[in-house]
Amino acid sequence: MEHHLMWNWPMIVYLFLAGLGAGALAVSGIVVLWDPAGEFRHRAALVARLGAFIGPLPVIIGTILLIYELGRPFRALNLFTSNFWFMFFNPSPMNWGSWFILFFCVFATVYALTFLPWKALLRGERGERLEARAERMRSPMAVICVPLAIAMAIYTAILLAAIPARPLWHTPVLWLLFTVSAISTGLSAIILVQRFMFRKPGAVRGAIRREDPAFRVSEYYLVSMKVLLIIAELVVIGLFIMFAHMTINSANFAVQVLLPGGELATTFWLGVILVGLLMPAFIEGFYLLRTAVLGHEFEWPYVINVSAPIAILFGGLMLRYVIVVGGQITGPIGI
Amino acid sequence: MSDKSDSAVSRRKFLKTVGQGTAAVATAGIAGGAMHAAANKPAADSGKKNTVQYGMLIDLRRCIGCQACTVACKAEADVPMGVARSWVEYVEKGRYPNAGRSFLPRLCNHCSEPHCVRVCPTGATYERPQDGLIVIDQGVCIGCLYCAHACPYGVRFLNPVTRFADKCDMCIHRIYKGLVPSCVNTCQGRARIFGDVNDPNSEIHKLIAKNPVSVTRETYGTQPNVYYIGLDTTDENTKKPGQYVRVTTNKANSPKRT
Repeated sequence: MEHHLMWNWPMIVYLFLAGLGAGALAVSGIVVLWDPAGEFRHRAALVARLGAFIGPLPVIIGTILLIYELGRPFRALNLFTSNFWFMFFNPSPMNWGSWFILFFCVFATVYALTFLPWKALLRGERGERLEARAERMRSPMAVICVPLAIAMAIYTAILLAAIPARPLWHTPVLWLLFTVSAISTGLSAIILVQRFMFRKPGAVRGAIRREDPAFRVSEYYLVSMKVLLIIAELVVIGLFIMFAHMTINSANFAVQVLLPGGELATTFWLGVILVGLLMPAFIEGFYLLRTAVLGHEFEWPYVINVSAPIAILFGGLMLRYVIVVGGQITGPIGI
Repeated sequence: MSDKSDSAVSRRKFLKTVGQGTAAVATAGIAGGAMHAAANKPAADSGKKNTVQYGMLIDLRRCIGCQACTVACKAEADVPMGVARSWVEYVEKGRYPNAGRSFLPRLCNHCSEPHCVRVCPTGATYERPQDGLIVIDQGVCIGCLYCAHACPYGVRFLNPVTRFADKCDMCIHRIYKGLVPSCVNTCQGRARIFGDVNDPNSEIHKLIAKNPVSVTRETYGTQPNVYYIGLDTTDENTKKPGQYVRVTTNKANSPKRT
């Protein structure tokens, strides 16, 4: 059956990219704040740097898509010209979200700038001064960016979940699902970029080299975090379906599009669950357990190292697709 | 007639004033709990916020499903092809000897607790305090369609010509010149009655008081102001096993009701 979608692919891609950017930035900020002076930061400096660089870019692209989808794109600034305090007595999630996007883009860009190698870019005293200033600003910016990133990830779900007339979206676990998915896709993007950039050992001067044991250790931590997040996401998806299925009225009817026999069942079970979650979890889990249980050194084939994050990113996009489309082709039942 | 209505209004005003005075004395004298109770009490008889609340009553016993209201609305509001501000759904049910068809005209319910107004990020859609109608300020709307998702009745859409959110505005340009909305004007069976729901002397108030009326999707708590007499609640999704039900929405952009 052909459906009329009011929110189409730009919205789906936006939700995915906003989650990805927020997740990458949250990971980066948490790594920076974990141990600002100690060894961990040095070891994971690459993760923090890549996360900071990845953070703002998808959100800016997604915001452009979002504005493109508006009926009147050139009026997007109307979201900000109305009184700032308006959002406190009419708390529309989209109004809050527009401010989150604005602050996110500004602060994430500033945060990314603190990671630029200023000393290499600007020679002389000026570069050294900027480098020192950037290093001083890094932790304070991370303090601002981590809550902003988490707020951003939650807002993308609350935007959908705030509407009672869309029973598939109107569920209290949607924010958890989107936040977990955001962090796992952000982490996957970091791992993917890290792998592409360091295909040849020593590709970036001054950074940690691939043959450096620290690189391997940080990757081990990242991948184990990712597998834990995938397991968490599976649990939350289970809760999401269970909540909807146990509801007597419209939500039960709406969730049938995801269950076997529904219109989106194939996309959901193959795209999201199998390709996006189960396959990467099993493959990565195998190599992780080999290290954790048998004590082998952590290493794996390049193909798997690249394809597992791509599968997770694909699963994240498919999750947004299934939720956004499924919410729109179902609705309140009864008259 | 005017004498009678004047006295009725003044009596109502008097009772209201006395009631408010009593509440004020009670809150001043006793405690916060009393104030809370007084605040929760409905302001007027119908429980709606506004003194004037325009609404519509559709007597489905008189509706013949001719779609004249749909056409009149399209002509009056210059609604482009493919979308509609008001339309009539057909519900067919039963098997041969016991078959039946009922009609359900849809339009914006001008709810007293509108979800669309709550989610609007720019404040472009709002409830007019003077008559309780929900309108869209086309100078502010950005066309994000959040309101269209939030409406449980699916009456909002993106106008493909103006690129704004659009919906029924109860023909605001007509009713303030003393006319009735275009759909009411054109209705062949006089099934549609327009008026102030809160005015005890209006035809719509009397009909609502005398007849069993229902509203659509009441469980969403929107407090709609479009009432129906003889509403057929049959739906494809809630039919009994083995029952034949077919719903035709007659709406190009949503062939299904949900």
